[in-house]
Amino acid sequence: MSFDVTLHLEQRAASMRLVGELDARAAPRVHELINEAAAHELDRLVLLMSELTYLSSAGLRCLVFAHQKMSPGVEIVLVGTRPKVAETIQLTGFDRSVTMQDPASAP
Amino acid sequence: MTAGRLRLTASTRVADEIAVFVRSLAARGGLAERQAYRLRLAADEITTNIAAHGYRGAGGVVEIEGDVDDELVWLRIEDDARPFDPRGHDPRQVLHTDPTARQEGGLGLFLALSGLDDFGYEYADGRNRNTLIMRRSGHDGRRCE
Repeated sequence: MSFDVTLHLEQRAASMRLVGELDARAAPRVHELINEAAAHELDRLVLLMSELTYLSSAGLRCLVFAHQKMSPGVEIVLVGTRPKVAETIQLTGFDRSVTMQDPASAP
Repeated sequence: MTAGRLRLTASTRVADEIAVFVRSLAARGGLAERQAYRLRLAADEITTNIAAHGYRGAGGVVEIEGDVDDELVWLRIEDDARPFDPRGHDPRQVLHTDPTARQEGGLGLFLALSGLDDFGYEYADGRNRNTLIMRRSGHDGRRCE
């Protein structure tokens, strides 16, 4: 199964596009880009989730990692999360620590 | 005699083989997409836990077999690591912790067990035997492809 992640930095926002399946094998690549983003002064980190088709607990830990690496006050926004992936996030309570948006409502 | 069997060396690299195996089994059993997703997630989390904690990253045999009967799709995951019953894992402490402050681990088995219709465990003949069950009647009309 494939996974791809790209990082785009613009002013005080970073966006990461997640494509494919985020599991234990793919998580280190996300951690690398989170580290890269965290080196910049940011107000928000946007995760573009609409092409993410699978998320395991190792992928969920990327959200914890993002919180730990980002400066306090950086908002983490998940855009366009698919229902099955969103269910995993909500079941484990991670929706309390991020903002979840539909693509239509994303700025 | 079962419909399918995999013999793997536990590591994160086996996730693809497990995904293909479970997807095929779920399709044959006519599981709904959501059920197929949760069965695959459970198999992934159980085997990841075996690799990381059972074998402590050193590798070891994991055998997976599964089949479809009139009412169920079942998957059995066996390993030779020390006895470990996933049902004894209590996720409450992790779930009650602020998500941003959680330590690594603790959620995989919760995800695995909460997504299945039934789960069985026994330690027999020196092996852990985990049985993952989805009921075929539980589909929501959208079958996986």
